[in-house]
Amino acid sequence: MKEVMEEAVLLFLLLVIYTPDAQGTRYSPPGKPELTRCRSPEKETFTCWWKPGSDGGLPTTHALYYRKENSDTIYECSDYHTAGENSCFFNKNDTSIWVNYNITVVASNALGSTFSDPVDIDVVYIVKPNPPEKVTVTVMELKEWPFLRVSWEPPHKADTRSGWITLIYELRVKLEGDDEWEMHLAGQQKLFNIFSLRSGGTYHVQVRCKPDHGFWSEWSSTSHIEIPDYLHREKSMWILIAVFSAFIFLILTWSLHMSSHRSLKHCILPPVPGPKIKGFDKQLLKNGKSEDLLRVLVVSDFPPTTPSNYEDMLVEYLEVYVPQEQEVLLEESKDLHDSCLKFEGSTSDNDSGRVSCDSHTLLMDKCGEAKEEGRQTDQEDSTTEAEAQGQQKDWDQDTLMYANGDILSPEKSSGRVKTWPSVFSPLPQYTLSLPDQTSSLEMAKQHCYSDSLFCPGSTSSYLTHLGNNDNETLGPGSWEICLSNRQPYSHIPQMQTCQQVRSHSDVNISTIARKQEPAGLPLPFFRPTAYVEVQRFDEEDMVVLQSIVSDHGFHEGFPQMLQQEDYSKVKGVDSNNMLLLQTEAMKEDGDGTTPHKPTAHIHTVVSTQDEMAQPASGYVDTATIFTLPTY
Amino acid sequence: MKTVWLAAYTLVYLEVSMRVGAAPLCAYGQAGCQVPTLAEIFDRVIQQSSRMHGISSDLHSEFEQYFFPSKNLIGTERKCHTYAILTPGDKENAQRVGREQLTGVILKLLEAWGDPLSQFYQSMSQGQNQDFNYYSSEKALEISDMVHELRDGVEKMADKMKLLGVLGNTVGYISPETLVPSSAFSYYKRGYLNSVDHHDLLYCFRRDSNKVRNYLRILKCTTLPGLDC
Repeated sequence: MKEVMEEAVLLFLLLVIYTPDAQGTRYSPPGKPELTRCRSPEKETFTCWWKPGSDGGLPTTHALYYRKENSDTIYECSDYHTAGENSCFFNKNDTSIWVNYNITVVASNALGSTFSDPVDIDVVYIVKPNPPEKVTVTVMELKEWPFLRVSWEPPHKADTRSGWITLIYELRVKLEGDDEWEMHLAGQQKLFNIFSLRSGGTYHVQVRCKPDHGFWSEWSSTSHIEIPDYLHREKSMWILIAVFSAFIFLILTWSLHMSSHRSLKHCILPPVPGPKIKGFDKQLLKNGKSEDLLRVLVVSDFPPTTPSNYEDMLVEYLEVYVPQEQEVLLEESKDLHDSCLKFEGSTSDNDSGRVSCDSHTLLMDKCGEAKEEGRQTDQEDSTTEAEAQGQQKDWDQDTLMYANGDILSPEKSSGRVKTWPSVFSPLPQYTLSLPDQTSSLEMAKQHCYSDSLFCPGSTSSYLTHLGNNDNETLGPGSWEICLSNRQPYSHIPQMQTCQQVRSHSDVNISTIARKQEPAGLPLPFFRPTAYVEVQRFDEEDMVVLQSIVSDHGFHEGFPQMLQQEDYSKVKGVDSNNMLLLQTEAMKEDGDGTTPHKPTAHIHTVVSTQDEMAQPASGYVDTATIFTLPTY
Repeated sequence: MKTVWLAAYTLVYLEVSMRVGAAPLCAYGQAGCQVPTLAEIFDRVIQQSSRMHGISSDLHSEFEQYFFPSKNLIGTERKCHTYAILTPGDKENAQRVGREQLTGVILKLLEAWGDPLSQFYQSMSQGQNQDFNYYSSEKALEISDMVHELRDGVEKMADKMKLLGVLGNTVGYISPETLVPSSAFSYYKRGYLNSVDHHDLLYCFRRDSNKVRNYLRILKCTTLPGLDC
């Protein structure tokens, strides 16, 4: 037992002792080397590198052997040092192009040698040139814009001059601090221009090359170039900016300045008038209860019976014109600009468009203003207040009647209708269809067309048409109703439609708008509209008319043929019970045009057979039917 | 009216004359053609040879990838049917050889490849592997045509150089049979008909087209040194 124990201990000791020695002294043949790559820089020589395997603990040498194509001769590498460690350099004599090389590396030590795997190469396809040399970068100018000119030379070893090797080049550029390069392929040329540079920056440029079928070379060393600042270019930019901002500043100043002036503002943005009716509640309108709404407008005392109401009544303007010539409308429309028109929406015709004016007081003020502008006749002065109080107004040549537009629809396209008043028919016979007698509108006062804020709506439609319910009988006369859309601020009437309106047959009163008096006086349509306001409707069925002096300063440009003619003079009564009125020419020359003698075109016929045709003496007061519904 | 006709005639004449000016170069020297310069011929020929080499390289690599993914095939010995044509193997030799011989070598090479490539194309188009052969057969046809065109072009180039006195008259047309086996294509057969033959053929042709291109470039740069060289 002891011997066994001792042997075991001896063995153990031996093992312990010898094991380390065995490890340190274990030899083996070398590991297998491996050819990593072969490269030729100029297609005339080439180098192969290998990676040795383990050396097996013994000094190992490596050898490279090669065999050329279709030859059995094995050659050994003659130069192991030129290219560094573990390399073999094939010089020009040993290098053949278009020949297959079969190369093997052998690692050998005392115990043996190991062959690497053979590698076949053809020098043509392993060319990797050196980087291009003498890379120069210069900043040049083209029409004051800088660009980079990069030039280089092929690597000195590569013989491109004889055509043996052909290289193509590539360069890359980046700004200092950027991460990405901008690549440019330059082909076979040795010169390249780079544009779109940022002035004041530093650029890095690199170039590399490659043969037709081969590998890219390494990048050349970086060339740095700084682009100088091109101030003159930026100067022009600043100039542009300055001019532009000055321009904007000017525009702002101008607009601010102009905004303080009403005229321009009004020129550009005329205020849109809203309906303003005395007692008119917009809220009610919104609520949608028309009855409540209209009730407000109803005046309790209708019809007016007492002359005492005379002053309280709103006066209505009548414009008389000859319907044949349309130009008159023009004129009349122009007239309206500065004249205050008030009319009573009595005539509730089917298609009556009622225009609502502002309140009585407002109108008064306005009219006062308007009148003050350019009244020239003394009557005008009086009428300033007269209007408000419904006093006498002068007739003008043309009288237009403005019917009240529907309050609810002030935009009815009806223009002014020059109609003759069936308006003048006495109330009982007046069968005009009022939508609601009680709710008929009353004085829609025509707004003044002067620069007023109160004018309700751009189209002054007024008229009514007295359409009568009992249509047919064409009364003694029928008149034309010409509707024109009047834009208060424009001098041009928009459209005119003339309708024939029939007069009440029953009512003998029919006003006829006649063209020209048989007297043969010229009837220019181009007249300023004069307004006759219907003061009241007399108990005796008399229409009290008052002419209103319309402002002479109607609208600019309108030839002031304004003739404050007094239509209130009654010439006589026709056989047809037509009241012939004539004007008393009180001319007011605006611009020296020959004043036309207005002829009495409109004949109001008073229903009652009273010989109202009062002699031409002074005024004839005819109460207008227009007042009917309003009271 | 007459001036109108005159103007019309003038325009037509100008257009015709300009059209003539824009006519393609005709190497045959036909009347009215614009004869190309030697530099132009060189450029065209070199371009053609580059293109030919590119297509043959593509074909070869396609074959290698498709049929022989491993790279072991390189190790096998191969012999190209043009081995008998002595070609300069490095730069010094190429420069030493001289233009006439160099031109002769080029012509020999191109002549030697005309026939095998046509047969190659025919066998490709009849091949069983239709998917692979479809695109490759087009390329085969292309290089087959190109070889013939290039040969004609190099002949014209040689003629032009002789005209200019740059090239001696020793360049002749050598019958290809003396240098090349009669049936060049069968040279690659190795007894059986499969794609291996094509691979060897393509390998050889790729190399020879590279030689042609390189020799042409050397010719150009020694004859007309310029910016490109």
